[in-house]
Amino acid sequence: MLRFILQRLAVLIPTFFGITLAAFIFIHLIPGDPIEVMAGERGVSPEKHAELMHAFGLDQPLWKQYLDYIWQLLHGDLGKSFVTKQPVIEEFFKLFPATVELALSALIFAIIIGIPAGIIAAVKRGSVFDHSLMTLSLTGFSMPLFWWALLLIVFFSGNLGWTPVSGRISVLYYFDSVTGFMLIDSWLSGQPGAFKSAASHLILPTIALGTIPLATFARQTRSAMLETMGEDFIKTARAKGLSPFRVTVVHAFRNALIPIITVIGLSVGVLLGGAILTETIFSWPGIGKWMVDSIFRRDYAVVQGGLILIATMVIAVNLTVDVLYGLIDPRIRKKGH
Amino acid sequence: MSMQSPNSKSEKIQSALMAVLSGFWYEFKQNRGALYGLIFVTILAFVAIFADLVAPFSPIEQYRDFLKLPPIWVEGGNWDFILGTDALGRDQLSRIIHGSRYSFYIGFIVIFFCLTIGIFLGLVAAFNKGYVDTFIMRLMDIILAFPSLLMALALVAILGPSLENAMIAIAVVYIPHFVRLTRAQALSELGKDYVSSSKTMGASSARLMFINVLPNCMAPLIVQATMSFSSAILDAAALGFLGMGAQPPTPEWGTMLADSRQYITSDPWLMGIPGLFILVTVLSINLIGDGLRDALDPKMKSNK
Repeated sequence: MLRFILQRLAVLIPTFFGITLAAFIFIHLIPGDPIEVMAGERGVSPEKHAELMHAFGLDQPLWKQYLDYIWQLLHGDLGKSFVTKQPVIEEFFKLFPATVELALSALIFAIIIGIPAGIIAAVKRGSVFDHSLMTLSLTGFSMPLFWWALLLIVFFSGNLGWTPVSGRISVLYYFDSVTGFMLIDSWLSGQPGAFKSAASHLILPTIALGTIPLATFARQTRSAMLETMGEDFIKTARAKGLSPFRVTVVHAFRNALIPIITVIGLSVGVLLGGAILTETIFSWPGIGKWMVDSIFRRDYAVVQGGLILIATMVIAVNLTVDVLYGLIDPRIRKKGH
Repeated sequence: MSMQSPNSKSEKIQSALMAVLSGFWYEFKQNRGALYGLIFVTILAFVAIFADLVAPFSPIEQYRDFLKLPPIWVEGGNWDFILGTDALGRDQLSRIIHGSRYSFYIGFIVIFFCLTIGIFLGLVAAFNKGYVDTFIMRLMDIILAFPSLLMALALVAILGPSLENAMIAIAVVYIPHFVRLTRAQALSELGKDYVSSSKTMGASSARLMFINVLPNCMAPLIVQATMSFSSAILDAAALGFLGMGAQPPTPEWGTMLADSRQYITSDPWLMGIPGLFILVTVLSINLIGDGLRDALDPKMKSNK
């Protein structure tokens, strides 16, 4: 098993360096140099310009700049934001929990509704439930996320007045961050109403972000279940007189898990991408909004660092999914690589 | 070899083609959703092509006397402006009609780049095991590591916000899926007898790639292209919504949505209508994709 993990890790190393190179080249493809961008309309004198170029190491040849960047990166330094002058990595980890909180709750929302719905649709194949679920899930899959988020706001916040429109918690509450997860922190703070406020802020972004993964999970679960339920071992299990529940959940579902885990793993990229729109619309202070704001502010140090951190996370998740495969299905890890 | 006149040979090919097409059509129309999707997309395509004739007004003409007029089914609607007018007094229906052009334009351009570049790289990778293959596939892994919308946003930030740059960015982000799919399909075809016999007969590798192997890889690629067509419309609309796609006053649906954002509580139909059109268009194309998959590849049949 360890060998299997190490092999997978070895493949990722060139990918990781490729990611850093891609992010690095991105920033250098931008017309004009960063100093001019930072100076903006005010402009900058030639002497000052040369001085700043030197201070940021921008007068070095490109390959040297890249190697320096990698060297700093390997020491956990991604440079400083042009705008806030804060280290990029610190800003990232300050905002990261907000995105994780939102992405996790969207993922849980999608799993607890999508997977059972997919199983029921497969068991009751051809029924009204099956047909409506498939139509609904294709609709969810085709939904423009930003429009869906706005509809939710209009209906639940505007017409019904049930939920707040933006942010993570009402301004009435203030407490120090312990875990970075607003739900847990508000609970720990013990202030009456704080938890309720945090939860009500989380509901709409969760539904908005979770809808597309939910639709994907339901469809994938249904088709994976239908495939395994046609297999001989299911007939055997039925013939042995096992209860339908046991046959469905223990025998069929367990064998349908691989494609289901694949889509769950793939949805992490979808969630991070969706977080860009969801966080922007709900003013959720996470890394998605941070990246969009930085792109608009032309804060290239942040864009570069953020791209690397996010892409690294995506490949780390893919590695985890690969390892999970190996755990679930011994054939995969033994298939002599 | 039998001696056939060229005429009867081409007739034979034609009738075989007809048989394949009618078989395909039979399978496709079994899927009722796909049929509805096709009907909607056909009507929309017609409207897009003849937008200048169909649309009652110009999409950018501002009627200052009719600002934010509601659609006719809402109180205060006006039959001159069936879907109402926007904050600048432009006719919504005409903007929607002209906007449909952009959706098709985006979809077709993105798919064109994905298919040409994706198929080429995929075939090259499959036919050149070793360094070339590894290099291409690692490159694709790198692109895939970035969430697609984020990557597209960053690319547009570099290239400058415009509809054309948004399409390039979206195509770049989608290409890896086409490369992977083509490569996997080509690899499974390469071991088959017809490829080895063609090789024995001295076919060049270009002939092997494009004439022998490629046609047998097309079915899943067509399905993938359909699904990417709809995703491209969604992503371009998202970029337009973020201000990084089509620029005003272009009547692109995502940009229209972004313009109407400040009126979501006072005049919700302003954002409701373009969004609904995006949803129905994307849904229809996805339904067609489902139908194509059932018809082209019985193995992948979605267990109906």
